Amino acid sequence: MDFYFGLAQIFGVHTLLGLSAYVVLLTGQVSMAQAGFYAIGAYTAGAMTAMFGLHILPAIVIAGLVSAAIACIVGFPALRVKGLMLVVATLAFGEMVRLFFFNLSWQVERGGELFGPDGAEGFRSIRYFPENGWEVWHVTVFIWIVVAVVMAALWWMDRTRAGAVLRAVGHDEVAAQSIGLNLTAVKVGAMTAGGFIAGLGGGIYAHTVTHIEHGVFGVLLATFAIAYPILGGLGSVFGTLLAVLFIQGFLIEGLRFMGDWRSLLFGALIVLAMNLRPNGLLGEHAPRLKSILRLGKPAPDSLETKDAN
Amino acid sequence: MIDVVQNTLDGLAIGSAYGLLALGFTLIFGVMRRLNMAFGSSILVGIFAGAWLHGQWAAGMIPIFAATLAGAVLAAAYVERLSFAWIRGDAALASMASSFALWMQLEDGIARAFPQRSYAFPSFDILPLLELGPLLLRPEFIAMFLTAAVLVVALHLMLTRTVFGLQVRTLSESREAARVSGVNVGRVAFLTFCIAAAIGGVAGFLIAATDGQISTKLGLWITMKGLIAMVISGLGSLRGALIGGLVLGLVEAQAQWYLGASGREITVFALLFVALILLPQGLAGRADAAARNEALRRL
Repeated sequence: MDFYFGLAQIFGVHTLLGLSAYVVLLTGQVSMAQAGFYAIGAYTAGAMTAMFGLHILPAIVIAGLVSAAIACIVGFPALRVKGLMLVVATLAFGEMVRLFFFNLSWQVERGGELFGPDGAEGFRSIRYFPENGWEVWHVTVFIWIVVAVVMAALWWMDRTRAGAVLRAVGHDEVAAQSIGLNLTAVKVGAMTAGGFIAGLGGGIYAHTVTHIEHGVFGVLLATFAIAYPILGGLGSVFGTLLAVLFIQGFLIEGLRFMGDWRSLLFGALIVLAMNLRPNGLLGEHAPRLKSILRLGKPAPDSLETKDAN
Repeated sequence: MIDVVQNTLDGLAIGSAYGLLALGFTLIFGVMRRLNMAFGSSILVGIFAGAWLHGQWAAGMIPIFAATLAGAVLAAAYVERLSFAWIRGDAALASMASSFALWMQLEDGIARAFPQRSYAFPSFDILPLLELGPLLLRPEFIAMFLTAAVLVVALHLMLTRTVFGLQVRTLSESREAARVSGVNVGRVAFLTFCIAAAIGGVAGFLIAATDGQISTKLGLWITMKGLIAMVISGLGSLRGALIGGLVLGLVEAQAQWYLGASGREITVFALLFVALILLPQGLAGRADAAARNEALRRL
């Protein structure tokens, strides 16, 4: 049973990671920095509980806020570039964060034991859950409450003006600018929100595994983060959730019985999904966009196909 | 002072290999306008095909070179069909996610077929070490530099002097215009993809032969180096790609000498980040900025 709870925990933190990329992707920005924000959240939250003895809830909120602040600071310069340049700029930022933690050693003594990040050794003994008597299912429920809150917040945001603004920028920057939207504010706002969510996810992740090290937060994790919303589709937050369940649940865990063939099938199924549903499993619907922007006659998929070569 | 000159020479040599990787990336990006995350892993397939031939029959350099090239091109053709040709033209993100899946697939496949940590790759030990006064020149480095120069010239001639080259340039300018003027878009894109993989395969072969051993980590490494070198020079020009590779090699060699391995990585990424933000157009090839901006908008 613990195995399934553990699996549910992985789904939970990866959903948060995917949602952080989803918010940024709504504005049309492909960010590979989410693994970096996730790492910042993980180390910050770990420091808060293991080094300073905080409760888990303020610890992950602080982790989210720190990540959000750094995302905001990075967002201003990074969002001057677009497309492939942004992919590589954010990739560079993510790797800088990883290398920073690779070199970071800062330990404090608590109860005769040293706690804190120790360079390449990583950050050990983030034992808030076991020390405070949380059982596996407590932790799992806690994670999914956080996921549910974040998903509800994003779902609600999608139905307000903020969601329409994000999508407007994502679909056509020139049009969005011409109706008076401030591109910089929108993009940096999305980046900050994404940073907050990634920080929350990272903070929780650090506590579920109790030992984090820099290698986890590399390019691979960053690519997974951006792959979730692409695979799931930008229609709603449920696309990202579905993609996490599909990749982590079905492709990685569900196909274990396939043994060596699993990795081949993993690639094949994602390729198949992207070929059949290029806009993601749940597709892209932005139902409120037309009415808010008064785009006139509704043309299915027209917002996407305009960019065709 | 001698150190600086020696580092410069070493940096330029490895930088020319980076330049070749960037050339491959630039060609793909030029005709596809999409990011190929599986570039490094298709070259990895080629390198391991060469290593397999080496381990199995102790083949000579030329069959190993041919196997590396063939493996890289075959893997790239596979990636092109699945992630680029068959996905609708406007779904750039779908191609990115799909090529990511193929990256994982190819790399996992290689890791299963070759379970050891690292494998031997033949090196050019027949050639002598050159000494120019206090400076040392490794023969592999000279081979790298010359190969890169020859390939760039050949590629330039192909792009400017042949009908196929004209078609490639038309395609990179505008897919629509190419189709209207009767270019077989699918075929040209496919062939360009294969040429890019072959160039990458040459670079991969040179890098593997210099190191003398290979591991499955090389795939991601190749993708990163190629991507970085392509981007610091600005997109869309061959000359720029080569300059980007040389700059990257130079910076890496100097930083490695003065700051050590982890200092080198941080320096490279920090410089990259700053350079991208200060010079979003890249170091070279500013002439066709308009076309490039168009390209950037489409990714």
